Amino acid sequence: MRLSISKSRNFWWTLSAAIILSGMISMLISWQTPDIHAPLRLGLDFVGGTRLQLVRDCTKPHNCDKPIDINIAREVAKAQGLGDSSIQVISENGSDNGLLIRCKDLNVDERTRLQSALTEKIGAFDPQKNQIDSVGPTLGRELFTSGILALVVAFACIVVYLSFRFQLDYAVFAIVAIFHDLLITLGIFSIFGLLFRIEIDSLFIVALLTVTGFSVTDTVVIYDRIREVLSRHPGQPISQVVDDAVNQTLTRSINTTLTVLLTLFSIFFFGGETLRTFSLALIIGFTMGAYSSIFIASTLLSWWRERTELSMVEPLDIPASSQDG
Amino acid sequence: MQRQRSLIVLILVLLIAAIAVIATIPVPLGLDLRGGSQLTILVKPTAEIKQITERELEAVKKVVEGRVNGLGVAEPLIQTVGSNKIVVQLPGVNDPAQAERVLGGTAQLEFRLQKTGTEAQFLALQVSRSELKTKQEDLLHKSDKAAIDKNEAELRKNDQEIANLFESFQTPLTGKYLKDAQGEPTKDKNWDVYIRFDTNGGNLFAEITKQLAGTGRAIGIFLDSRLISAPSVGPEHAATGITGGNAIIQGRFTAQQANDLGVQLRGGSLPLPVEIVERRTVGATLGKDSIQSSIYAGIGGLVLVLIFMVAYYRLPGIIADIALIIYSLLTWAAFALLGVTLTLPGIAGFILSIGMAVDANVLIFERTREELRLGKTLYRSVESGFYRAFSSILDSHVTTWIACAALFWRGSGLVKGFALTLALGTLVSMFTAVSCSRTFMFLTISMPSFRKPDLFCPNLSNFLNKTEVAK
Repeated sequence: MRLSISKSRNFWWTLSAAIILSGMISMLISWQTPDIHAPLRLGLDFVGGTRLQLVRDCTKPHNCDKPIDINIAREVAKAQGLGDSSIQVISENGSDNGLLIRCKDLNVDERTRLQSALTEKIGAFDPQKNQIDSVGPTLGRELFTSGILALVVAFACIVVYLSFRFQLDYAVFAIVAIFHDLLITLGIFSIFGLLFRIEIDSLFIVALLTVTGFSVTDTVVIYDRIREVLSRHPGQPISQVVDDAVNQTLTRSINTTLTVLLTLFSIFFFGGETLRTFSLALIIGFTMGAYSSIFIASTLLSWWRERTELSMVEPLDIPASSQDG
Repeated sequence: MQRQRSLIVLILVLLIAAIAVIATIPVPLGLDLRGGSQLTILVKPTAEIKQITERELEAVKKVVEGRVNGLGVAEPLIQTVGSNKIVVQLPGVNDPAQAERVLGGTAQLEFRLQKTGTEAQFLALQVSRSELKTKQEDLLHKSDKAAIDKNEAELRKNDQEIANLFESFQTPLTGKYLKDAQGEPTKDKNWDVYIRFDTNGGNLFAEITKQLAGTGRAIGIFLDSRLISAPSVGPEHAATGITGGNAIIQGRFTAQQANDLGVQLRGGSLPLPVEIVERRTVGATLGKDSIQSSIYAGIGGLVLVLIFMVAYYRLPGIIADIALIIYSLLTWAAFALLGVTLTLPGIAGFILSIGMAVDANVLIFERTREELRLGKTLYRSVESGFYRAFSSILDSHVTTWIACAALFWRGSGLVKGFALTLALGTLVSMFTAVSCSRTFMFLTISMPSFRKPDLFCPNLSNFLNKTEVAK
């Protein structure tokens, strides 16, 4: 199998542009949607609020005889002045004995009042299975800004490192590829937020940074090879060089992505609930990372070098010996 | 050969040490895995103390420690975070309500004197106060938010007016003179808080009670500038005041309130107001469920990877798998030695770092195959496989470190756990993927029975023959 990506590059560019564009449209729609008001559905970590996950204690006699009636839970919340909170019945061990409540940030008295009212109307809950998260609005904003800051700083450091290891245009296109991967991941999660109400949390920012790291890795491996092929065949047209480099590293790209995806899919399907969104973000991001390094970063580089080399007689001379160590 | 032999010895020594470490030092589990509560307390500046320095934060932390110890939770962990936050971890606590109540209040206790000539005014305010309180009880049952808020505002105004009727003693008698505080039940099912002053506090208390004895003016017991009770001192104490340094705060407390107040007072008052800005609670069973499923999922995924490596890369795959197992043991030992607390994102970081380690091996073996297909000898192919793949491996690890450093610098607790395990993992994988695999690989090809190129690249002879024919 041999890919001639330089010939079909217009197709790949259009494909990527279309995916990114649909993600952006979804972000715009999210922004206009009243209960989201942001490009992505922001979770508790960023906007603040309280999230209560309670599961009934079925070891007590007659505690779980009747299924949880969501309307009773809604009435209880409304009586406490929490009419606008979102309430879901969740299944635990196959029966609907769990309750998930998202509402504004409650202090300890408000929360205790809500919990005891729910216990009275619905049944006793098992404290061993509680999950209570509560984040104040100021802390939420702080978590968000520090997350974004971490992302920006990591970006800047990677550009500096790559322009030091390669050349500036390599670094720039590597960053373009990262942006491509991140934009697609963000876009897909924006669509998920609209369709499946998936929220993003601090772990999502972690996922984005990991995607950044892996995306750069994939791109660097191909760039490494482009540099090597270039130094061995200085006269070859750049599109040929890029095609060769991509094909020589193709098995590696596929195998590495495959092994990482194996573990990620296993976490996604069988891992804890907390890691589900996180592993999904990584699955999308890593797949995009492998795709973009092959079809976007390298084709952009060959396009750019073709344009600039027309005015350059001498091919770029990079000594091979200095890069391997 | 000499170098390889010493490397093998080094690897063996490290491996034995790692197993010894794993067997003796357990890796502590985070609250999300073992269950418990984590509270983040924000320390707020006041009009007097506008800037929170390290000293103030430490002072607050000490008080928080005192109160947490009063709660009787096993192995609590209290840390300062950043310039104005304190994180309290309470393992095994399923409902942090008591902790929140105890940690939230400043608990500034003060005994004040009623000003002269305010008796009538005080009485009137107390009457309107109890009316407001009864009204509040009624309103809470009707859940009319606007009315509740309005009533609360009036209550606060009433509090303020009452506070204005009292003044501090020359040397204010505050909670810092306390030696002990304890909730005790009374005859009529209410609870009181018994307090005992130290010597200086006892003397101050005697002086204050001496001044007030028989005047009809009350001694006001204030908690966070709110009057809790206002007993009057009988004329029999006019000579010496109440001596002995004991007092009772009667506030019609419930058992819980009295105990909470006791804990707060014993722990001392907070020098600065605080607010609990984040609470995360995971029930113990829930944590156990998620740790089990995540670990099983991770191990399942890894086994698949190990099988894939052998199926695809044959002999080098086996070597890579051995290196990966060594890698996992070394990394786990590093976690234990450095005292990394394992959280759910931490496990994810560990599993991802295994992915990085696999990638390094994939890079090397692909390169080796390529060299073999070019017709090079086995030894030279393996050598240049390692040599040429190194720059890619280095670059990929450095970029991951950069991302980890950014996460560690800015991240919150869970994010930090992820960054730390991933960074440590990539550091170890730099060693195992390059040195371990390399040593094992050369050791293998030094044995004649393994020196068959087909074991390294299936169908190699066919491939070479075909290219021969094509030429």
